[in-house]
This record gives sequence, C-alpha cells and structure tokens, in this order.
Amino acid sequence: MDFVQQVINGLAQGGIYSLIAIGWTTVFGIVGVMNWTHGEVYMLGAFAGYFLCTMGMPFIPALLLSMLIGSGIAIAIDEFGYKPLRKKRKMAVAGFITALGLSTFLRYGANAAFTPNPRAYPDVIDYQLIPILTVDGKTLTISSIHLTILAGTMLLMVLLELFIRRTITGKAMLAASQDMQTLGLMGANSEVLIKVTFAISGALGAAAGVFVGTIYAINPMMGELAGLKGWAVAILGGIGSITGSLIGGLILGVAENLTAGFISTGYKDAIGFIIMIAVLLIKPTGLLGFKFDEKV
Amino acid sequence: MKNDSAASEVLTAGIENVPADVPTKKKFALPKGNSKWFFGTSGKTTFIGAAIVLLVICFLDSFTPVKVIPAYAKHILVSCLIYAILALGLNFVSGYIGQTSLGHAAFFGIGAYGTAVLMKYAGIDFWLTIPIAACIAALAALPLVASALRVKGSFLVVITYGFGEVLRYVAINTDSLGGSSGIPGIKAPTIFGMKMSKIGPTGKEGYLILCFLIVALLAFFMNRIEKSRTGYAFAAIREDEIAAVAMGIHTKYYKILAFVISAFICSIAGSIQVAYSSFVSPELLTSTQSILILTMVIVGGRRSIKGAILGAGLMTILPEILHSIKDAIGLPFDPWYILYGLILVIVMRVRPQGFWGNASDA
Repeated sequence: MDFVQQVINGLAQGGIYSLIAIGWTTVFGIVGVMNWTHGEVYMLGAFAGYFLCTMGMPFIPALLLSMLIGSGIAIAIDEFGYKPLRKKRKMAVAGFITALGLSTFLRYGANAAFTPNPRAYPDVIDYQLIPILTVDGKTLTISSIHLTILAGTMLLMVLLELFIRRTITGKAMLAASQDMQTLGLMGANSEVLIKVTFAISGALGAAAGVFVGTIYAINPMMGELAGLKGWAVAILGGIGSITGSLIGGLILGVAENLTAGFISTGYKDAIGFIIMIAVLLIKPTGLLGFKFDEKV
Repeated sequence: MKNDSAASEVLTAGIENVPADVPTKKKFALPKGNSKWFFGTSGKTTFIGAAIVLLVICFLDSFTPVKVIPAYAKHILVSCLIYAILALGLNFVSGYIGQTSLGHAAFFGIGAYGTAVLMKYAGIDFWLTIPIAACIAALAALPLVASALRVKGSFLVVITYGFGEVLRYVAINTDSLGGSSGIPGIKAPTIFGMKMSKIGPTGKEGYLILCFLIVALLAFFMNRIEKSRTGYAFAAIREDEIAAVAMGIHTKYYKILAFVISAFICSIAGSIQVAYSSFVSPELLTSTQSILILTMVIVGGRRSIKGAILGAGLMTILPEILHSIKDAIGLPFDPWYILYGLILVIVMRVRPQGFWGNASDA
C-alpha cells in the first residue's frame, strides 16, 4: 500500500521531468545542439511565475504568461548564442561550450539579481488530499496540487502532439528532424522553424518551472540538476520521441520517490543517472528511440 | 650504365639544390622534439627555462631578508599546476579521441579519496598510494568506457556527467568516507626523510616542484605519443571513426586506452591535491569542477599541450583576481561565474579552436 502511495506521489514530479525532457528532445532533434541552457530557462520560468503570482495574478494566466516569457528567453538564447555559430557552421563542440557558458552566465546572473535565497510561491492552488480508493482501512490519496500538475502536463503534451501532427508547421518540424537541408530545398524557412522549436522548448521548460514552484521552493540553482535530469529522461525515453519522454519522465519521478521512500534520500538524485546509464548500456537508443543511421 | 649514373647525379644534385622552403623528404620523418613552445624554443629549452624560473620563485625568499613572493601566490601556482595535470589528462579523451567528458572530476576524486583512505585507514605510504589509487581510477573508468563504446557525442556527455554525480552521492552518503564533510587530517608525505611541508620557506615548494615535474613529464610523454602509432590511431578515430575501422584500426582498444590513461593521470592530480591540502571533501567531485577542467582544455586549445597548461593557468588565476576585485569593491555576489560564462561564449565566437589550438579543429 505504501508502495502504491509512493508511486502516486512520484507521478507529478515525473510529469515535470517529462516536460523538461520534451524541451531538450525537440531542440536536439531539430537543431542538433545539446541545449544546456534549458535548465536555466526552466529556472527563469519558475521565477517569472513567482513574480507574477506574488503580484496577485491567478494561476492559469500566470502560467501562460510565464510560458510566453520562457519562449522569449529561449528565442533570445538562440538568436545571440547559437545563430552566429550556425552561420559559421561550427556547431559541434563550439555550440556545446557556448551552451555551457550561457547557462553559467544565466544561472549566476540570476543568482546575483534574485539573491540565492529560496522562495516559495504563494498558495495558488488550494491544497487538499483527494482520496482515490480505500483498501483494508488504508486510503490512497493524491494531493490537489499533484493532480493539477499531472493534468496540466498531460494537456500540454496532447496539445504539442496535436500541433506536430495536424499543423503544417508541426509537420515541417517533423521533417526537419529528419533532414533539415532537404527541407530547406523544399522551400521551408529553416530559421523560422528553428525559432518555433526554441519557442516550444522554452514554453514547456517555463511551464515545468512554474509547476515545480507550486510544490517546492525555488532558487537560482535549481536549473542545474533538473535540467540535466531532463536530458537524462530524454535519452532514457529515446531522443525524438514525445511518448518516450513522457514514459521516461514518469519512470524517473516514480523511481526517485521509491528510492527516497525505501532506500535512502541521499541517493534520490543519483538514481536517475544510474537508470539512464543502465538503459543506455542495454539499449543505446533509449526505450522508444530509433537508431540514427550513420552515413559513410 | 653511363646514363644511369648521370641520371643519379642529376637526381642527387637536384636534392641538394632544393630551396630550403620546399619540404624535402626529411620533413616527413618522425620529428625529434621539434614542436615549437614559447617564442619558438624547443621543448628542452622550455623545460630548463621553466625549471629555473620555478626554482627562483621557490627559494628566492630563503636568501632575501624580506618576503618577496607571498605564500598566496605560491598556493595559486600549485593549484594551477594541479589543474594543468588534470587538463592534460582530459586532453586524452577530449583532445585526442574527440569525445566530450563532463565526468573527469570523478577520477580526480577517486585519486583523492583513494589516497586519503589508504593513508588514513591502511597506513600506506603516500608515494605508494598514488599508483594504487590511479589503478583504481583506471578500473573505475571501465563502466564509462563500456558506454563510450556504444554511444558518443551528446549522449556520452550526460553519461560522464551522471557518472561523476553518482560518485559524488556515494562519497556524500558513505559514512566511512566522511560524508559531506570529507576526511580531514591527512599527514603530509615525506621525501628523502624530509616532510614535504617542511621544504622551502612556505612549505609549498615541495609540491610546486613535484607538480612541475609531473607536468613536464606528461608534456614530454604526450608530445611523443602524438607522433607515435598510438597518436595516429587516436587522430584517425577522432577524424572519422568509420574510416578508421576500415583502415584496420582497433578503435575499441584505442578508445579504452585513451580513457584509462586519462583516468590514471587525473587520479594522480587528485592524490597530490589531497597531500597538499591535507583533507578531502566531496567538493572535489562536483560537476562544476568537471566543467572547469573541460573549459581549460577547450579554451586553451584541444590537443595543444601548451594550450592545456596555459588554459589551466588562465582559468585558475582569473577567478582569484576577480575575488580580490570583489572584496575591494564590496560586491554582494561573485562576478567570476558570470564573467566565466561570457568568456566561454566569446571565446567560442572569436576563436572556436581555443587560444593555442589548431585551426582545423574548430
């Protein structure tokens, strides 16, 4: 019974990881850069949500506005960080180091601007435990905050899936993830596509930040580990697969909660990397990923 | 017959009359220590020059009535040299076989913890713990190698990062390793019956000389390996792995070799760090540390031995200068990391190959 309860508690955290992971996987799939700044977009989104909520804005508008801000930040990062390198065709190592540098800059810039003190969101969602079912006198519950996060995550993912499958831009993104050059020859504007990709990635990252803010206190350093766990989840689920990211995120969230509950809280943050390394050793493409064929 | 000898005469005459700037066949032979170091000096001259400068820095204060060189400057110099060892070690992975690793602080930490535990609990002599810890580090590199053989690039980055983080959590959560406060009170090692901390006016001179010798040895070793069969195999794997396989190069063997040598060298740096600072803490294993080592290699220039050493110096001295500026102005936050991020972005924009790197590497 405890076990099932821990699993339920882990789901919300898992949903947040999935949202972060999708931000990583879309950018990696289309631009081919490991966008190390994603954790910082997540952190800045959380701070945007914090300031909007403390100003008295209701939760939903604050969430949407934070997502907009997150998109803006992600687009700015691409414009000033990656675009000049892309023009010079020096993305491989230079792109990665630029991402590292930008992420350090944003993290410690935020640290200087917002002070390192942790901050807690005001009560934007009414906290109550909702009983699910009762077995042998024990009741399984889920908190309203977790439920909101889970529902929000699912909604965002369905919307993203619809966007990719139904709109022409989304289809172009799918094509771009396979072959950007050919897509350019077909007349698609690759610059616009890349900006759209970064906007989606930033919006999802910021949403994850706001969601996490409703559970935990936020601080400028939160992006480092969470961002990396997002990338671990993206690899675990398989790069380029949204369903894979969702499954990977839920697995990680639940595994962390079980580790904290039954093994040791000290190893909570390590379990994600252990799972990821184990999965990659057995199946290098991730759970639902497909193989990138290397052309000679 | 006559014709032939005439022809050979013409040939030899031709070779003798080749102008100096045309590459003759001799240029393609294995070069003997002809790599240009500072201001075009040879490796030997550089070594002797640097050794003299170092000895002057070390023992100047013994002969002058007032202290000329502050102990703090020597402390920073020791850090520079320890980081130079790390950067040279990482160069095997990030430079020679062209894979990015964000987990090398792990090997640094294994060396440090290995030495600390062996000295404290087993009572083994410091000089013996160095090779033992380094062998442990080389063994610990094997899971990393196993994944490096399957995945590469961005995927390997997160595996190495995860490897470092997992080891850090192990260090934090293991009581016998001292938990998050680490193991304090490691005794200073002795050499020729003298305590390392008793050599020279400030007690840092012994470490300075030790680190310098290791860096010089590594520089020599790497200079030779670049022009060896192994070095060419590394280059082939870096440029095009599939082509390397097609040429009959055992890529798995050379990848394992690069990782193991790299882990071994980084572990030595960890052992010295522990003896020098006399304590070990999980701080040595943080990802910030790994990122710092990587940026030393990248900013200095991948595959450049000079670049790795100077990059290490640059990235160790700059934060110290900024700390003093921060204390002077009274800033509430540390400007180093903000500037550090900007430096990385600007260097990658202006010189993607690093300051002393090869242009073809960009």
